[in-house]
Amino acid sequence: MTMIPKQTRLRIRICALLAAVLFFIPFAMAHAASQDAEQTASAEDEAFAFVEALDEEEPPPPQLADPLYYVNKGIFHFNDKLYLWVLKPVAVIYQSVLPRPFRTGIQNAYDNLKTPVRFASSMLQGKTDRAGVELGRFMVNTVFGGLGFWNAADLEADLQKPPEEDLGQTLGTYGIGNGFYLVWPILGPSTLRDTAGRAGDIFLDPVAHIAPGLSPFLRTYERLNWLSLNIGNYESVKAAAVDPYASFKDIYLQYREKSVQE
Amino acid sequence: MIRVLSVVVILCLSLHAPATGAQSKPLDDIRGPIERGVALLKDPAYNSPSKYDEQREKIWELIHDIFDFRIISMRALAREWRSFTPKQQDEFTEAFTELLKHNYLNKIQGQFRDEEVVFLEQDILTDKQAIVKSKILRQQTEIPMDYKVVLSRGKWRIYDINVEGISLIKNYRTQFKSILAKDSPEELIQRIRQKALEEKKSGQPNA
Repeated sequence: MTMIPKQTRLRIRICALLAAVLFFIPFAMAHAASQDAEQTASAEDEAFAFVEALDEEEPPPPQLADPLYYVNKGIFHFNDKLYLWVLKPVAVIYQSVLPRPFRTGIQNAYDNLKTPVRFASSMLQGKTDRAGVELGRFMVNTVFGGLGFWNAADLEADLQKPPEEDLGQTLGTYGIGNGFYLVWPILGPSTLRDTAGRAGDIFLDPVAHIAPGLSPFLRTYERLNWLSLNIGNYESVKAAAVDPYASFKDIYLQYREKSVQE
Repeated sequence: MIRVLSVVVILCLSLHAPATGAQSKPLDDIRGPIERGVALLKDPAYNSPSKYDEQREKIWELIHDIFDFRIISMRALAREWRSFTPKQQDEFTEAFTELLKHNYLNKIQGQFRDEEVVFLEQDILTDKQAIVKSKILRQQTEIPMDYKVVLSRGKWRIYDINVEGISLIKNYRTQFKSILAKDSPEELIQRIRQKALEEKKSGQPNA
């Protein structure tokens, strides 16, 4: 038997130890995994309780009565076909004719024109600072942004766009509930409260006063222009939904609830 | 000798450390896989339509682990979860995972090509709950997207996605509740499977 130097023996021992440790790691991991797999029923309950606790600080999904369910659903399907068969094809042609920057500009100009709606709603909610920003944006966009085609105010740090305000939200902040769910032809999801708000918004919209005869056309054109900038959104939400009617209702309500809170 | 051994032990311990999640940050856990997934989109190796499915599976391989589909499924069913048998729970989880997978991949492969995802910050709520904030830049609009994450099985994983303040999972909860008011759990699972198939098909490049 040859003599192995002490140094080498030590090295061998370290290697053996290392191998043992490394060998043990996957073994220990496998053991832990098998323990995981043996989850008892009470562990399931615990997991569910944990998941429920995740939601504790969040409001539940908004719920709203739908007494006109069958009428609403009929209009929902009508709108769906109207969009797919008429509005979308027209918007696609329009989109191919007018380059995007022009369409964005037109959208900006319409938004600018609707400043009174946001200004009045902000004031009625006591949000005077937001009302001031809206007024400032209106002046800067109108004068320096070519009647609002370009949002010149975006360059100014103090004049960044505040969250949208309208009269429906204003009524919401007064504690007035949604009432019940409504689906309007062409316009889509709404509620009793938001319908009342919308009627007021239309009254505050200068388009209705400057050119009353033209206003239906101007509004249709605005809608078409907006649609051309948002083609595909409706389809992608609808494609993801298992129950599209319930999905759009919930999206509308979640969105409005958030807007009222802002 | 002892010094060598202690180095070995420390090395081994540090190998274990990431699994406990104590050091991992929610933002990094979520951002890493998503950014790697989006990077695959721009990989010229997958340019031809024949590579589409391969790319899809590769992206999914990268990102599926940042979701906790069990928790997502429990939240989507809420109280109804308990009325499902264990077998139905498993089937539901599987079907819903499939639906979310194709949903998400359709969005990524279809839209993210001309969009940019920017991760902003993390909001630590408790030692197990956090929000990872990001935004999607599309032409001139910014869409805020928040990932709600939970520390689960050693990693931060997504249990809900909020787009412009709208919760995706709550939206599904409303849908499932409305379906379960009329139909059985089996029928719901069947409808979800059907939808997942449609989504998978509509994701095909020639669809």
